[in-house]
Amino acid sequence: MQKTPLLTRRELLKVGSSLGIGSLLPLSALSANTLQTQARIVILGGGAAGMAMANRLAKRLQGGTITLVEPRETHHYQPGWTLVASGVWNADKTMRPNAQFMPRGVNWVRKHATGIDADNKRITLTSGEALEYDFLVVATGIQLNYHLIEGMTPELVGQHGIGSVYASIEGASRTHQAIQTWLNSGHGKGIFTAAPTPVKCAGAPLKMTFTTLSRLEASGQRDAFKVDYMAPGAGLFSQPWVDEFVKQRFDDQGVNRRHYYRLSAIDPHARQAEFAFVGPESEFTSHHELREAEFRRDNQPSVIADYDFIHVVPPMSAHDFVKQSDLIAQDGPFRGEWLDVDIHTLQHNRYPEVFGIGDVIGAPINKTAASVKAQAPVVEENLLAVMQGKTPPAQHTGYTSCPMITGIGKAMLVEFGYADNFAFMPSFPFIDPTDESWAAWVMKDRMLQPAYYAVLEGQA
Amino acid sequence: MTIAGAITILTYALAPFMWLLIIVVIVVTGLHLLAYLRGYQITRYRHRRTTLLALIIGLTAIIWVPWLTHSSLGYVATLFDWVALLGAAAATFLVALLILQPLSYLISFHNDQ
Ligand SMILES: Cc1cc2nc3c(=O)[nH]c(=O)nc-3n(C[C@H](O)[C@H](O)[C@H](O)COP(=O)(O)OP(=O)(O)OC[C@H]3O[C@@H](n4cnc5c(N)ncnc54)[C@H](O)[C@@H]3O)c2cc1C
Repeated sequence: MQKTPLLTRRELLKVGSSLGIGSLLPLSALSANTLQTQARIVILGGGAAGMAMANRLAKRLQGGTITLVEPRETHHYQPGWTLVASGVWNADKTMRPNAQFMPRGVNWVRKHATGIDADNKRITLTSGEALEYDFLVVATGIQLNYHLIEGMTPELVGQHGIGSVYASIEGASRTHQAIQTWLNSGHGKGIFTAAPTPVKCAGAPLKMTFTTLSRLEASGQRDAFKVDYMAPGAGLFSQPWVDEFVKQRFDDQGVNRRHYYRLSAIDPHARQAEFAFVGPESEFTSHHELREAEFRRDNQPSVIADYDFIHVVPPMSAHDFVKQSDLIAQDGPFRGEWLDVDIHTLQHNRYPEVFGIGDVIGAPINKTAASVKAQAPVVEENLLAVMQGKTPPAQHTGYTSCPMITGIGKAMLVEFGYADNFAFMPSFPFIDPTDESWAAWVMKDRMLQPAYYAVLEGQA
Repeated sequence: MTIAGAITILTYALAPFMWLLIIVVIVVTGLHLLAYLRGYQITRYRHRRTTLLALIIGLTAIIWVPWLTHSSLGYVATLFDWVALLGAAAATFLVALLILQPLSYLISFHNDQ
């Protein structure tokens, strides 16, 4: 059940401005240069990225039409799902009505897009209707490919010792229950997996392991539980310092790390998982090389492992209808799986009137809401420039952030970008990204959700 | 970040505690008004035991503030952690003092009558 707040944030802001807060704003901010246009702009997907773009463009454009295609009534704050699955938050806390963030004047189409005809600048919808555009922003996020793990479906999450924080908010709650059931049993083996593809919030599988370790240690029976981490490649995280740190910490906390294993099948009733050994020389070992067509290989060696609890991380890609469109990458590491954009300007590499933002884009890192915060002003600036026939001036640095929860109650504020092999880009000089701290945890627990909603409203 | 952005974040962050903030403001204002009508002067009135009690309440914040954030004192590790936690303790001390001082004045006023 969702509660309706007594006063919405927008109403509170209105009260604030009538009390004079608005007068604190410099005039330039109030009348940020708007562009007069007749253009038809379509935004596909109204999650973190699409909603932020709708709000930003609604403020900057006069005339024209902005259409947001988003089938869901509820907005999900996905970064909160790890806290739900770890038993720290209630599920309710992560949900708000989309209508709360929808800017006035934007045409909200509550349907799924089913196809993109980029040559004819046309979107097809579930209803069979077509939407024509002059400019398109693709922000449809990620598709969870549970079907690539034989025997696995998202409906299994919460049953037979299976957890998966990614499945949905219900899946996150059921993951919490599955972990609790395992803890209550007093012993047994837990397997934590990682995916052989890029995933949203690449830290989430690690965070789930760390918070579960916290709970195991708090139970006073840590030695009765065995914990394995099965990684498809050599690394556990893209940022090199964090990668080394997590490996060392797993070793210290008695996690049995095994590399080059990909979860290939699951037998829920027997509580057995099959892992394909992909080997150091395999192309699967790179996070960006796996494509669905190459997923299954004959004669690939595999091992069967028993478990009492397993955390499943599904392979991920752009949604099928994006994959089937002309907009998908046709060569390079993201071919066939992710949107083909310039990773700095976020403009499509072949269709200049198209931009990509959020999880859907082919980029070496960046599948986080924190990246959306950095990408949204870049897409806004560049789209407006292209609408005026100019070259895109703004560049995305690849900024991404992951409050790496290393236990329930502590975290590291890891922020980095494309440059210098993913060097740190700390926002606060007084918080060292290599320190575990309570303050970083408080940010995750209390501050990031407000900051996220400000991003949705185009304010941050 | 714009000022509007900062206000947006602050509004969302404080929203769950709005009821508590409103109660504290009402209690503090009410007590001060009541005491003022009976001759209390915030700059003049000092009561050592009340100050000590407020200090103890402030210090307890070092335990319960981490707990309120689903953490524990054991994870307060960096210099910034301690600055933030001591800041929270100081704020708690101040609020406790603002409530306890006029309250103790009112009690002693009542006993003197
Ligand atoms: C468990 C978990 C933990 C995370 N932790 C963090 C974290 O700590 N920090 C962080 O910064 N990020 C974190 N993230 C990542 C963050 O949530 C995403 O990166 C962010 O939501 C990406 O925004 P997006 O708009 O690209 O995708 P989404 O927010 O997923 O939105 C995509 C939208 O597209 C819509 N859509 C899909 N298909 C269609 C279609 N056919 N037609 C129309 N619309 C469609 C969907 O309904 C959805 O609303 C986490 C994510 C998860 C799952």
